[in-house]
Amino acid sequence: MKIFVKAYVSISDDQVLVNGEPLTIQSEEGKSWLANIYYSAGFQVPKFFKMDNLCKAGFLGAELLMSQLGMVPEEPKKDWSVILMSHSGSLDDDTIYQQTIQTADNYFPSPAVFVYTLSNIVTGEIAIRHKIMGESSCFIAEKYTPATACDLATNGFLPEKGIRNQIFGWCEYMDGHVDVRLFALSLDEQNSLGEWKGDFRL
Amino acid sequence: MSELIENLKNEVIEALNLEGMSAAEIDENAPLFNGGDPTAPGLGLDSIDALELIVLMERNYGIKLKNASEGKDIFKSIATMAEYISKNRTK
Repeated sequence: MKIFVKAYVSISDDQVLVNGEPLTIQSEEGKSWLANIYYSAGFQVPKFFKMDNLCKAGFLGAELLMSQLGMVPEEPKKDWSVILMSHSGSLDDDTIYQQTIQTADNYFPSPAVFVYTLSNIVTGEIAIRHKIMGESSCFIAEKYTPATACDLATNGFLPEKGIRNQIFGWCEYMDGHVDVRLFALSLDEQNSLGEWKGDFRL
Repeated sequence: MSELIENLKNEVIEALNLEGMSAAEIDENAPLFNGGDPTAPGLGLDSIDALELIVLMERNYGIKLKNASEGKDIFKSIATMAEYISKNRTK
């Protein structure tokens, strides 16, 4: 199966790249790096602020990716799937939740934190936002390898069911550090940036 | 009561991550929940927010709701929350 890249986005601790071009981020004092990206990109989705950091990171990556392709979030996408890989999954949020139930005399489990204690929520949030109807899964992996990435991405396409496009990539947030590398992949070569063979960097 | 309302507004903003919203922008008589209608007035909170408000009342005011059906009246607005808290708080 030949897979092509239509667009790619990366978010690190100090840089956001869309198709390799840096996005200018205005840093406002008191706001987190992810919030600064949100405001700088001009997004207006209040639910963003309810999300845990993993979902915020994935949401921003997907939003930048899809807007680069001119996709309208509200339009149903029956031919798309979203498959992500992560090392820590939801561990960052798990840790925050643990703190709300750590001691008996201060035992106030937070429902809003609890709902994000599952790695698959990040792909769910992206699928809901962009009305993606195909497969939605986040796989935990020790590290990113092109071979595993190719396997997962290939299985996320179902051409016989019409699933010919995919948001695929690595989505990691832990201890204040973010590493997101998302690709808009397609089985159709038209308007692509080239063939994708699982490489992390293009 | 006005001091409690002001404190409650700030606690709700913090607990529910209502980014960019100030206490002054919240009408204490506006509905907290509007059934997901973005054109309706109010804060447009959802079911997870409702659970978070229950935790807030217990953590900050020592109030444990015994009957879930009470919530419908208590969480109508910031004003109804404040009224209930002022009558039932243990801390």
